[in-house]
Amino acid sequence: MIGAGGSPLRYLEFGDIVIYFSPYTLALFLLALVFTVLVIASKPERQLDIAFGADAFTTKDIGLSEMRFRRFMAIACGLASMGAMVTGDVFDFCLFTSLVGICNVGIVAAVKSRHVQGAAFQYGLVALAGTVPLFGGAAIVAATTGTLSLIELSSTLLPAVPLVVKGFLVLGVMGEGMAPFYAAKAEMFRAPGAPYVIMCSLSSLLIFLRVIEVVLQM
Amino acid sequence: MIIQRISRFISNFENLMPIFAAACAVLAGIAILSLPFVYTEDQLYPKNIDRESPLDPYDRGGPPFTQADIVLQYPENSPTAGFVTAYLTPFSWALANTTLHTGTTIVGHPGGILDEILYNTRGLDTVVETTILFIAFAIASYIFRKGSP
Repeated sequence: MIGAGGSPLRYLEFGDIVIYFSPYTLALFLLALVFTVLVIASKPERQLDIAFGADAFTTKDIGLSEMRFRRFMAIACGLASMGAMVTGDVFDFCLFTSLVGICNVGIVAAVKSRHVQGAAFQYGLVALAGTVPLFGGAAIVAATTGTLSLIELSSTLLPAVPLVVKGFLVLGVMGEGMAPFYAAKAEMFRAPGAPYVIMCSLSSLLIFLRVIEVVLQM
Repeated sequence: MIIQRISRFISNFENLMPIFAAACAVLAGIAILSLPFVYTEDQLYPKNIDRESPLDPYDRGGPPFTQADIVLQYPENSPTAGFVTAYLTPFSWALANTTLHTGTTIVGHPGGILDEILYNTRGLDTVVETTILFIAFAIASYIFRKGSP
């Protein structure tokens, strides 16, 4: 098979769910892997507040347990993104996408800032609502073609997936944090603790890049 | 001017949910207009419900203790497919032969009927689903315990 992301170099079989590494998905997978390793290895930033009109600044101090939890969530988010990058099954892709959404909320869940918490709550609501078009789209893909495997879907023998169903999938992924639903995520970045918060942005960017390949392949 | 107004509206995250709801409504409207979708007859995971079977809601066809014939996407990846459903404990099998109600109790029996699709051919889905639950529990328990020493 030659999909939208090039012909797969390697397959990993889990029953009916076949993971495949094409040049495109392999590149995205490596990007997620490298960033996850960075998250594991790096020390978090310490945010500074400069006081205007005076020669002074304050450092925001974050407890160790909070940092540990945030790192755990960032690593989980990285693993979920890696899974979403290489999976060869529409339903599995939807599951990984919703896992990324939950992890993104988890990364900033421990922040003691009312503003960030409010943004995370609104983001969580949109991510929750986004699962409806996402899984609905996957269900209609299964109904109209009779299969969920992306490898089978790339063949021309199957009936075409209706355009609006592809729209459902894209809208569901956009709800996980792409423009124009990005405002809450941008506010979540105000939380101290890069590089963990950057994982929120990178994961949704990667997932959006993958959904383009998924939709083109159908 | 209009772009300024739109971007000001979008930048407030309190408005995100209405915007997303509107986008969903528009897409659902287009979907309704483009109905009917043509469904294929050749489905990957067909399911026939036989109300007369004693295993009623869990009966996926095939006699117990032998391999059932199950439609798969990649049969070569699941050599044991068809055996999961076939497995009944002797007690469950006796119950199924005498009453019509094993289907209501069968999941309570050790080694009772497991869903072939979930636990054999689509096992990775089950793993990811439970991972989502565990992550949600981890977040909830962390937030719950945040204040306590």
